[in-house]
Amino acid sequence: MAMRVPMSWLREYADPPATTSEIAERLSVATCEVERVVRRGVPDADGNLGLFRVGRVLSAEKHPNADRLQLCVVDVGEREPYQIVCGAWNFGAGATVAVALPGARLPNGLTLERRELRGERSEGMILAEDEVDLGTDHSGIMLLPDGLEVGTPLADVLPIVDEVLEVETTGNRPDLLSVYGLAREVAALYDVPLAPWPGVEPERAGDEPVDVRVEDEEGCPRYVGRLFRDVAVAPSPPWLRARVFAAGMRPISNVVDVTNYVMLALGSPLHAFDFETLRGGRVVVRRAAPGETIRTLDGQLRGLDPDDLLIADADGAIAIAGIMGGEETEVSEATRTVLLEAANFEPVSILHTSERLGLRTEASNRWEKGVDPHLAGHAARLASQLLVELAGARWVGETDARAALPERPRVELRPGRASALLGHEVPAERQHAILRRLGFEVDGETVTVPTWRARDVTREADLVEEVARFELDAIPFTLPARRDAIGRLTREQRLRRTVEDVLVGCGLCEAYTPSLVAQDPSPDALRLSLPLSADQSVLRTTLVPSLLAAAERNREVGNEGVALFEIARVYLPTAGEALPRERWHVAGIVEGGYAEAKGVVDTLLETLKIEARVERGTHDLFHPGKTARLPQGWVGEIHPAHGRGWAGFELDLAELAAAAPERVLYEDVVTFPSVRQDLAFVVDEDVPAAALAEAMREAAGELVREVRVFDEYRGEQIGAGKRSLAFRVAFGSPERTLRDEDVTPLREAIVELLARRFGAVLRA
Amino acid sequence: MTDSSDTVAAVDPQALQEEALAAIAAASSLDELDEARVRYLGRRSALKLALREVRDRETGMALNAAREAIEQAVATRQHELERAELDRAIAEERVDVTLPGTPHPRGRLHLVTQVRREVEDIFLGMGYEVVDGREVETTRYLFDALNMPPNHPTRSPLHTFYVGEDTVLRSETSPSQIHTMEAKPPPVYMVSLGRCYRRDTADATHYPIFHQVEGLAVDRGITLADLKGTLRALLRQLFGAEREARFVTHFFPFTEPSVEVLVSCFQCDGDGCPMCRHSGWIEIGGSGMVDPNVLRFVGYDPEEVSGFAFGWGLERIAILRHGLPDIRDLWANDLRFLRQF
Repeated sequence: MAMRVPMSWLREYADPPATTSEIAERLSVATCEVERVVRRGVPDADGNLGLFRVGRVLSAEKHPNADRLQLCVVDVGEREPYQIVCGAWNFGAGATVAVALPGARLPNGLTLERRELRGERSEGMILAEDEVDLGTDHSGIMLLPDGLEVGTPLADVLPIVDEVLEVETTGNRPDLLSVYGLAREVAALYDVPLAPWPGVEPERAGDEPVDVRVEDEEGCPRYVGRLFRDVAVAPSPPWLRARVFAAGMRPISNVVDVTNYVMLALGSPLHAFDFETLRGGRVVVRRAAPGETIRTLDGQLRGLDPDDLLIADADGAIAIAGIMGGEETEVSEATRTVLLEAANFEPVSILHTSERLGLRTEASNRWEKGVDPHLAGHAARLASQLLVELAGARWVGETDARAALPERPRVELRPGRASALLGHEVPAERQHAILRRLGFEVDGETVTVPTWRARDVTREADLVEEVARFELDAIPFTLPARRDAIGRLTREQRLRRTVEDVLVGCGLCEAYTPSLVAQDPSPDALRLSLPLSADQSVLRTTLVPSLLAAAERNREVGNEGVALFEIARVYLPTAGEALPRERWHVAGIVEGGYAEAKGVVDTLLETLKIEARVERGTHDLFHPGKTARLPQGWVGEIHPAHGRGWAGFELDLAELAAAAPERVLYEDVVTFPSVRQDLAFVVDEDVPAAALAEAMREAAGELVREVRVFDEYRGEQIGAGKRSLAFRVAFGSPERTLRDEDVTPLREAIVELLARRFGAVLRA
Repeated sequence: MTDSSDTVAAVDPQALQEEALAAIAAASSLDELDEARVRYLGRRSALKLALREVRDRETGMALNAAREAIEQAVATRQHELERAELDRAIAEERVDVTLPGTPHPRGRLHLVTQVRREVEDIFLGMGYEVVDGREVETTRYLFDALNMPPNHPTRSPLHTFYVGEDTVLRSETSPSQIHTMEAKPPPVYMVSLGRCYRRDTADATHYPIFHQVEGLAVDRGITLADLKGTLRALLRQLFGAEREARFVTHFFPFTEPSVEVLVSCFQCDGDGCPMCRHSGWIEIGGSGMVDPNVLRFVGYDPEEVSGFAFGWGLERIAILRHGLPDIRDLWANDLRFLRQF
């Protein structure tokens, strides 16, 4: 929630010789993000501001030709008064008003001209607040205080042109959630004086008791209750309405506006109750009773939880503490007696209640970050002054119920330590000066923290930050010396990159699919306790289903040559362990059948120098007859029930790393060339090629360099239930060139073993 | 036999060589060249006959020199003629060079992987190791160790995914800092990249799963200036050597001081454009000096060592650098998108 800070208001507290954008820039570096600077009000160029004046109505009568218009004569400080036709009736002769003269340009872009209205000359306009962007009210014109001198530039009286900072503060700085708090930073950044706390205590006009009972001092360490009588509820004066409006709130009535104004000015939210509606004339601060409810100001009936902190009267809830008041005790036009609450609430309870109710207000936003309990006194004082001045109220009583307020932290600061951590020498005097301007007291190495920073600054590191933020731009750019560090990837990380590169080389595109899925083949897969959606509620134990879905989507949109892979974690629950085993898997999906996926896996294994040990397997996702198991995972044709024309694989990267040789040892395969022989065998259908190949190696021993299937054939000559498999076998020795007489016995041994073990018959 | 010397004397090697070279040069085809070769170097050629008969050393040398010169000339001429013949033969061979070549299927690394590798390589070059952290974490490592107060909003199940009472999907890569420091004494220079999870509804700029790069340097005498220098170096590698880095105050529970890092806008070079929201600067991510409480948690002495840390989103880097309009594209796996990068 961005806070809006009108500069005209801020400059009342701190006024450095700098433009708004310069101030915004400095704040952004040292204090908090200024998201935008919004310029508002009437255009400030070509003397336009001079055309807006304070005027006095000399006469006001009904327009001779129009029932709804007034014909006014207005003195604006020039030799001749102006005649202005006006549609409002909330004033008469003698009123002090805001006037825009002919030629004036309004915020909405309109330029006023002299003109005839129903036959009468009209020279300018008597202004309502919405016409100069000071509010939204158009029910009447603005009435200014009578003391103002006629002809005074309106800009001297009201912020008809202003700049508003939109500020985003961080959670550790609730002290910035006020105009005064931000002004304190501006004053410190520019080393200009900060105005004293606003507000002068009005005179006490009575000594009535105020019945305040704080039953939960932990939730409410302070409660200042002040009683005001003879309150005249009415609209606020234009200056107050303008400030509240520019800060982003809606002006309501003088009493409500005063509470909002003081919250905006000082950061301590206030509440005003219509005292006469309080049963028992009493205020009780307590937790809600089970089943208790309240109808809040917004008209909602809200159920309360026993953890919620309440303001109650003798009978029941009258406000949700720090969040929103109740409808029954709301200040109305009929209110004559006001109980002003200037309290302090603990943040955690406010945060929980506001989250639970989904009810965030300007007040809760401040309380939940932790408001300085000392602010309550300042806030009560300023609010009292304004209630007396603006609503004619009499202050007749007060109770200040407080627990022991926290001590101000005292923290050691070693200036040398600060400079060392920043990598930038900041003299001790400068460090102390920065802290003092921010309200810290410095005595040697002991620093006493101001009350408004007591939650945030408790350690030396926190003070170093205070120095750092004033020096951020001056700190140089260096690199660590790194006397004892080397950069490296682990073996598994390097393997992961290799796998990625091989698969890209095989034509597969890398996909990223969510680790959270709707369902997983494993019934034990971990489930989120509060998922965002059912689609993403389970931590997957396998990647292939997600990839398959991505592949199907690609096919649906007509993409050709679909081939995807992904390297990601799977999460395997382990009995008795809170945390799952997280394994890196690589999975792929390609168009086609078993051979297409197997070819990718073969290439991958070959690159990693892993011998493929493949056997028939079964897996729910894959075709029952076209699935293989490897020590590292699975490869197979996707089961037609899950998707047609796809094949895929999924392998465990740690298993791949374990199977891959750490380093490859040299073998001389060049000096003495291989002798190749092609051998075709007829075998029963169910004899796997890999078993034949393994037997060949077994039979011929270490002189076999390579065994490769190059043809598979079925046909009439061979007979039903049989197939022919053709192998190319390469023999070689690192010591000599093999001659025919060396190879012949090897070949015979192969033929013999295959015949004996598999009934294989050598084809001519 | 007596007249044999006369026979030999009848051959003038110099003249023979000149005649042969002329004939070889005149040969205009491989056949003609072969005829010349037979005539001057063949078994029955005058030169060969003379060589067979020669008796004195001097004449022999002269004849051999002539033979070598003629052989050389034949070889040279043969090469010339062959080349000329080849040139003639291919003179009519033409392809449309603008036709596409034979296609080889080629995949692509996902854009985020490309960014991940780039960031890893930058830090490998600066002497950092790459650490793989867990994605499913305990609240102790995600919150307690990182100095998150008990009421911090991130602890809420509305913000962080819970798997069990004390088990969560990491909402940032920072727990890898803790694991790394617990595993060994300082110095530590590491980056850790991987998936993180936050309970954010997916829209153009949010996805509940995203990737972060976490960086951590802890050693004697690590300074905020080192943080500035390191991250500016990273930004310049990622976004261009002429980029400037800016560091502004921020707040994170696990760093103190904390700073947000901005890079000068690479679209408008600081003049202001929609990309940088007319500020000239683009927010990249958070960083700061490791909070003493974090160092103490892992048994390091904050008086002895200090450190800096940062955690940035890889998607954000990819989106900014490549101008992606919607983060969800990175998870849609549409080949038309994937093949762009």
